[in-house]
Amino acid sequence: MTTTPSTGGPSDSVLQDFADMSAALTGFQSSFLRPFLDPTNLSEVFYNFAVAQVGQTAMDNLLAAFRSRKSQTPPLTAQQIADSLLEVTTPTGKESNQAQLAQAVILMWYLGSWYTPAYQTANKQPGQVLQVISSQAYTKSLVWNVAQAHPMGFSAFTFGYWSQPPAGLATFGVNTGGGQ
Amino acid sequence: MSNGNGNGSDTPQYDVVIVGAGVSGNLIAKQLGLAGKKVLILEAGPAVPDSREQYMENFYLALAKTPESPYPSLAGRIGPGVGTLPNPSEIPTPRATVLSIGAPPDVSHLIQSETAGVSGTTPDNQPEVRQLQFSSTYDRIGGGTAWHWLGSVPRLVPHDLTMKTTYGVFYDWPIEYSEMQTLWGLAESEIGVAASVTQQVPLQAAIGMVYPPGYEYPMGPIPSSVVDQTVSNGVSGMSVPGEGSEGGKEYSVFVTNTPAGRNSEPYQDRRVCAGNTNCIPICPIQAKWDPTVTLGDALNTGNVTVSYQSVAVNIAVDGNNVTQVDYLKWSYDDKGNLQSTPASVTGKIYVSACHAIENAKLLLLSNDQKGIANKSDQVGRNLMDHVLYLAWALAPSQVWGYRGPLATGGIESLRDGEFRTNRAAFRMEIGNEGWNFACGDPYTTTLDFVTGSNGSQLNSGPTRLGGTALVNTLNDRLTRQFRFGLLLEQAPQADNRVTIDQNNTDGLKIPRPHVDYGFDKYTLEGFRVAAETCSAIFQQMGAQEFTQPTVNPYPKDKYPDGKTMGPGDFNYEKKMYHMYGAGHIMGTHRMGTDPCTSVVDATQKSHDVQNLWIVGSGSFPTVATANPTLTIMALAFKSAEAIKAALGA
Repeated sequence: MTTTPSTGGPSDSVLQDFADMSAALTGFQSSFLRPFLDPTNLSEVFYNFAVAQVGQTAMDNLLAAFRSRKSQTPPLTAQQIADSLLEVTTPTGKESNQAQLAQAVILMWYLGSWYTPAYQTANKQPGQVLQVISSQAYTKSLVWNVAQAHPMGFSAFTFGYWSQPPAGLATFGVNTGGGQ
Repeated sequence: MSNGNGNGSDTPQYDVVIVGAGVSGNLIAKQLGLAGKKVLILEAGPAVPDSREQYMENFYLALAKTPESPYPSLAGRIGPGVGTLPNPSEIPTPRATVLSIGAPPDVSHLIQSETAGVSGTTPDNQPEVRQLQFSSTYDRIGGGTAWHWLGSVPRLVPHDLTMKTTYGVFYDWPIEYSEMQTLWGLAESEIGVAASVTQQVPLQAAIGMVYPPGYEYPMGPIPSSVVDQTVSNGVSGMSVPGEGSEGGKEYSVFVTNTPAGRNSEPYQDRRVCAGNTNCIPICPIQAKWDPTVTLGDALNTGNVTVSYQSVAVNIAVDGNNVTQVDYLKWSYDDKGNLQSTPASVTGKIYVSACHAIENAKLLLLSNDQKGIANKSDQVGRNLMDHVLYLAWALAPSQVWGYRGPLATGGIESLRDGEFRTNRAAFRMEIGNEGWNFACGDPYTTTLDFVTGSNGSQLNSGPTRLGGTALVNTLNDRLTRQFRFGLLLEQAPQADNRVTIDQNNTDGLKIPRPHVDYGFDKYTLEGFRVAAETCSAIFQQMGAQEFTQPTVNPYPKDKYPDGKTMGPGDFNYEKKMYHMYGAGHIMGTHRMGTDPCTSVVDATQKSHDVQNLWIVGSGSFPTVATANPTLTIMALAFKSAEAIKAALGA
């Protein structure tokens, strides 16, 4: 549930921007990542975890970059916003620190773990994992939805479901509208 | 050694003392408890928890979700302080773990070569590979390693028991197939096996799989996955040619539903399977039978007691009789210091049930490290695994893995044939977990498409993606992934051997197991045919194969100093292979009729020591291709009857 944060925590509007940016980056619906009733509150957990790792300024700058693209006219699609923040046309390894942070945000949502951005690692290589952020970060991790499945060890399905094809990808929270 | 639990008289404290609260120990305890016998189980590890929630939490938080990851004393749960695997010399019950394969003794409980496999030839000029890492692991906790068994329970086929008679290789089992059928039936009832005899009928013509007339499994089958159905359709009408003298014979290739130790209907107060796709490392809802179920039954007889954190260190023998078991009762004090107290316990009969490697270790440590029950010199020898060949591919259409039990079907039709004169047979398990085993997916492919790497081989572009493009690309790749895991029949070899290592001890100052391991030509030829067969099936199905010969199973920043080959890799006939452990540790105290060449008889009683049974898959004289737990339990039923008879029940 959206609530007024305690002193010092991120404001509701910051968390909503973080969820909207995460939605563009991950290809999921913002309301799926940060539902009105949100017992796991992962958007705030992830925001705080990322800030603790990369610092407030880096996160503020990434969110500012997102806001500026979101307010462009004519409006950008969610895919265009993601591609821009991730600098997908830049050769791999040459993308900015900010784009590497955007990658880490995707990986938090998809894999439930913090992958240290390459610029913060000793050998400047991506893919170095620090930790599973929480058990809920694992059981809610999105890559399993992309696979039309469930986290291994956390199935909400019932006996025999595996003998039939799954429900369509659209039922797993992904953004099917092509926009916000 | 002081008699901590002693009563000071000559009357044994228990009818039976069992070392190890796993598959065999718990089942024997239950059967004896039901017969009114007083039983003590000494379990090295910690108690079975009241609920599996803490184990689940360990699993969720583990970075490497290896078989051992949910269980106490360490590993996958790395979190802050990455890479801190415990030093086995500092903890009371170190165990073999996936994360420590190929690691040095300050990480690996098992002391073994740190090299890649070394190819060579035997004195009679046959190819062999030595200095391989034994890659199967085990746990030392209440309930034992089968906390994380897969749950597949195929029976052996008749020729599996008669390899010497039928094919002129290895040994015959000292038990008739008809008796095993009865014992498997008991084990299937204990587990609650879900399967259909009717569905297994095609295996009668193919590999001689027969059931007694009228036999039915305790419950109906677990439904076959979409992956199984796709493979089944893809191999329709396929056969592979016989080899050598079998020219002209064709082996038909087809998929059958695998008998499963998981519930298709409620059984013994446990739920039906919900398809958590997590049988290994842990079923979150205990729909899969595990040894704690049987342990609960044993305790409910009122005649069975378990002493946890009690590590047996010596089976004391006087003449041909065990007189007591000496053990160390360990704990941690308030400051976290490991403490242990020596104690002893007496019984009329003793059972060593601590799994193949620790059984061998305990027998060799006993009698001041002169060893017991070893006049044959076979204790610790013939260490075997179902060495696992893994092959993976993208199906031409979506198969939606990562759903259902880890395996629901397989190709059993290549488990027997005249080729077994020359090379290992295999059973082909179809995986329902995408490329999770194969390359750590869905993590690896996700990382690839987000950061531009190519650990999965699926992002050779490479590209970096986000948003809907990422969703669609990953959905296409992940839902087409599948794999085969082939359980190869490993030859018994005297030089594949567990000994005790005086130079490396655990936290209780007990010497740790040293393992020498490798493959002979029989096993190597099995690998060659396994790889060829998988490739042929993928081609038949129109699937794109991605099997990589080399997979480095441990953190590259720690080992192995930049070598291109890692533990488990080997060359054979100019081709590189990687072998995995199946977790099926067998053969270290094999059974037979001849005391000169075997350690135990058909009831798993020591040939040498009159009141000692040595039980578990260590008793298997040959390993064939069936997952071993069902047969371990079948043999335990036979042992329990023999022990009851010996007690005069």
